[in-house]
Amino acid sequence: MQRQDLDAPAPAPRIGTVSPTPHSLEPEETSGPTAPFVTAPGALAPGPAPGEPILTTEAEERVAVATQWQLMWRRFRKHRLAMLGAITVILFYAIVVLAEFLAYANPEASDANRGLIAPQGIQWLHDGQFLPHIYALVGERDPQTFKRVYTVDPTQIVPVTFFATGFDWKLFGIIPTNRHLIGVEGGNPEETLFLLGTDLEGRDMWSRVMYATRTSLTIGLIAVVVSLVLGVILGGISGFYGGFADTVIQRLIEILRSIPTIPLWMGLAAAMPKTWSITQVYFTITIIISLIGWTELARVVRGRFLSLREEDFVTAADLVGARQSRIIFVHMVPLFLSHIIAATTLALPAMIISETALSFLGLGLRPPAISWGVLLQQAQNVQTVALSPWLLLPALPVILVILAFNFLGDGLRDAADPYS
Amino acid sequence: MTRPRTRGADEIMRDVARKQVSRRGLMKGAAAAGLVLPTAGTPLSAIRSAAAAQDEPLGSALIGELEGPIVLVDAPRPENLKQAPMLDPLVEDGTLPPVEERVPLEPLVVQPVEGIGTYGGVLRRGFTGPGDDENGNRYNSGDKLIFWDYTGTEFRPALAKSWEFSDEDRVFTIHLREGHKWSDGEPFTADDFVFWYEDLYLNPDIVPVPSGTFAINGQQGRVEKVDDLTVSFVFEEPYPLFLTILGGTTFMGSGQMTSRGFHGGAYAPAHYLRQFLPKYTAQAELDQMATEENVEDWIALLRLKSQWYLNPDLPILGPWRCVSPINTPNWTMERNPFYYEVDPEGNQLPYLDGIQMTLAENLEVLNLRAIAGEYDLQERHTDIAKLPVFLENMEQGDYSVHLDPGSYGSDATLQVNHSYDGDPEVAQWLHNADFRRALSMGIDRDQLNETFWLGVGSPGSVAPDPSVPQSPGEEWRTMWATRDVEQANQLLDEIGLTEKDGDGFRVRSDGNGRLRLEIFAISGAFVPFPRIAQAIAQQWQEIGIQLDVSELERNLGMTRMRNNEHQLFMWANDGSELIYAFPRHALPVDPAEAMMGPLIATWFVTNGEEGMEPTEQAMLDAIDLYRSAGGQTTEEANATAQEIWKIIVDNVFSIGTVGVSPAVMGIRIVKNTMGNIPARQVNMQHARTPQSSHPATFFFRNGGGS
Repeated sequence: MQRQDLDAPAPAPRIGTVSPTPHSLEPEETSGPTAPFVTAPGALAPGPAPGEPILTTEAEERVAVATQWQLMWRRFRKHRLAMLGAITVILFYAIVVLAEFLAYANPEASDANRGLIAPQGIQWLHDGQFLPHIYALVGERDPQTFKRVYTVDPTQIVPVTFFATGFDWKLFGIIPTNRHLIGVEGGNPEETLFLLGTDLEGRDMWSRVMYATRTSLTIGLIAVVVSLVLGVILGGISGFYGGFADTVIQRLIEILRSIPTIPLWMGLAAAMPKTWSITQVYFTITIIISLIGWTELARVVRGRFLSLREEDFVTAADLVGARQSRIIFVHMVPLFLSHIIAATTLALPAMIISETALSFLGLGLRPPAISWGVLLQQAQNVQTVALSPWLLLPALPVILVILAFNFLGDGLRDAADPYS
Repeated sequence: MTRPRTRGADEIMRDVARKQVSRRGLMKGAAAAGLVLPTAGTPLSAIRSAAAAQDEPLGSALIGELEGPIVLVDAPRPENLKQAPMLDPLVEDGTLPPVEERVPLEPLVVQPVEGIGTYGGVLRRGFTGPGDDENGNRYNSGDKLIFWDYTGTEFRPALAKSWEFSDEDRVFTIHLREGHKWSDGEPFTADDFVFWYEDLYLNPDIVPVPSGTFAINGQQGRVEKVDDLTVSFVFEEPYPLFLTILGGTTFMGSGQMTSRGFHGGAYAPAHYLRQFLPKYTAQAELDQMATEENVEDWIALLRLKSQWYLNPDLPILGPWRCVSPINTPNWTMERNPFYYEVDPEGNQLPYLDGIQMTLAENLEVLNLRAIAGEYDLQERHTDIAKLPVFLENMEQGDYSVHLDPGSYGSDATLQVNHSYDGDPEVAQWLHNADFRRALSMGIDRDQLNETFWLGVGSPGSVAPDPSVPQSPGEEWRTMWATRDVEQANQLLDEIGLTEKDGDGFRVRSDGNGRLRLEIFAISGAFVPFPRIAQAIAQQWQEIGIQLDVSELERNLGMTRMRNNEHQLFMWANDGSELIYAFPRHALPVDPAEAMMGPLIATWFVTNGEEGMEPTEQAMLDAIDLYRSAGGQTTEEANATAQEIWKIIVDNVFSIGTVGVSPAVMGIRIVKNTMGNIPARQVNMQHARTPQSSHPATFFFRNGGGS
């Protein structure tokens, strides 16, 4: 969809080219399939003055000798939303790796005396000088409204520092450190800094969101990989060989697809050993779900195999004595790589959404695990909407990352299939 | 800790004296109910001025003075009886007899708290589904034999106009009201008691286990008809406590409508229920009826037909009878034209034409409707966490908010299963008093109070509020119940739990890894149990104890609890302020619900034939004291209750957190059109809140328009 919207009309100039010269290939000559080589109008500066045909030739040369991966990358780069999506996803996974570094408070550190503090902005200037700081808060429960009221004490300035010390953690689980991206000078950040406010128990939301991002974005990864591998292998066998194998696998798929997931999920959640941590339980369940989730991809792969195996080039390869594995992996799989990539990038957000949704319903992760769904589950009440709407903020990263993954998947699908 | 010594007679006398001032004590309790906030740090000028604008302590504006309607004992029937306008046409066309014939010759005359009301209007409330029958039972508890005054401390007549003990407290006799009729117009007489006793209670098919509350020292009592209006309960041994049993929410005393089809209540509508018994109706016919109602057999049929909220045809004695049953989205009730209460001017009660309960899919929906002002009166299921939202929307919703603090010790009690046998290692520790003391001292109750009770609760043990007669005293609220991590760790070290794993958690003594405790926490209850349990799990990390929270749906949790599967169970210890009438949350003696040890409760009621004997001497002592109270007068029994509480608290049989708060059924949302609503009412199980405020006297000031 985006491809058609964004792709340029055919006569657009090529990368690094000047206006068409007698030497240059006209886009029309390679109509259709050349579309990937075409940039959006005005995306690049118009060509320099005529008279530099060599440059053009070099550019031509680059295109001509580019490998498929390079072609894919070039095409992908032009899909702006996909690029944006890719950057967003990378940033989110950076949070996954560096959650403790980006958090400044222990996500479990609670104190009733700092419950339900609203998000607090950092003041960047003080008396005209650059001095990031926050003001100290004094809290008390209002005797008439029963709300916790926090008052800013403008006389008490707490400077915010970077790479400050805070609670202990281990980089990559190995290197012990206590440095964090931000902190406060001469104080405990847990007690003073509340960028996204605090929840009912007085736990810092910013730090909890960081940890939640880690849980929510990693928990589906393995499951997606498992269902990907199973889908390609079983779908491939089914489509390539047909016959009895096809019948067995297809009936198996039908049986598996008829199992309702939510009751299965509930049953499995109850059947897991009590001594397992809640994250272990959830992880196991997602893997089990992925053992069921491969069916859709397998059907698609089977369909592609069925149509491709009748193609002349497959027959040709077979006749020249190519091994079956070579025919499959060298000649056939690259032709529907786009489907696989799209399925993967679209399965990940589905897994993230299902974690969030199930936790929100109380079936997935449960406290003390921290995930987006858990944070949102704790915010699903009247008083949050009325009194502490900032507790709904974890919905924002969910929306962002799901959109980003979808754009990314879309761009990848287009890029991976330059000739489609 | 020193063992509580035996109490002398003079001390008991002092308690008796104290009981007489208990009403004032109760009011003082309101102020003492933890409604003073500790000021956090140094308040700033802005905050100080906000506080200065209001000199009274936090919440005092919402906790009114305890008041209620007064039962005019022995008042004669007023001369000019009047009835609700909705009944006029029915009397005119002969469907109903005139009001003079419907009201007993000696009705219960009640002086409403505010004044004479006007007839009309339907009270709108919310309920949460077929399991929420108590929502309506409590409005219909006017059908108890004996009830309490509005303070919940003194007995008042109800169905029984008077009573007396004789034969050295072996015989308890009640006197019924002449001309008292069931809601279908049939007379209510001693025969209804005899029917209940001979045809229901003595039939093991219908009542499989005879009630412990109708027995003294294991010997069952009998019902005897003296004359049409006089019934005697006869016991083998003196049983002065039976008066309290009838006053409490017990099998014998709950009344017909609250007995929930378990055939308690000591009387039943013989003229109606006979048709469902094999003794009076052919078996084939009963089977036919059972098939038509889609139930298993005649026993299930009888049970179904005995539940007023499922069977609109059932004759009742309460103020409102069922029109549309509880398993529909609109559970509706309309006035019982034969109700036996009148006001001093002769108006037959109730004033309200009916009650309409609207099904709320979940508690959030119910609370949202309350905030929007869609209910006329709602004190059930209202969430203390939403108190600021309730207050914010008072004007818009045209309602006012009243807080009614309860009298029991803990809204979120960690009930310890004293008969747990699933894991011998865990059982060994759970049944160790020092272990439980350490657990209790590992809890930071002030934090819980501020977070989950908005600071209005009272942190402490399981002991009831010092204002109630059975309280052992103020100091027992705090024993073993203040945070002391150092002492807790020391106790745990001393009992042998010295080894810790890499994460700082104590390990099992049998070498099988970390010592893990599990608590069952029911979700969707009055208080957010799972979240509180999670906070406690967090706090226990400091004493090296791992607590796993199992969040369960209510029915599943209760089933697993009855199967003795729980180690700890979080629940309110409501009702324990009157220990003999509702002992289940204080001692494991009631098999109907024994979170503190289902097997011990079985052992107790079977006189040791089945179940499991408690392993701790202190538990045996407490149960012995409990058993001995049956032969004591009310005053003596109260003194015994104090001794029982001292044992419970000293041995931390269960772990209290925060209580004496309005969190359970104490956040009362009252539409401003309602009249005769007390500023404050007691919040007690045995006072059947709000029955102590006589809902039959509630009325709409605007004549019923909502």
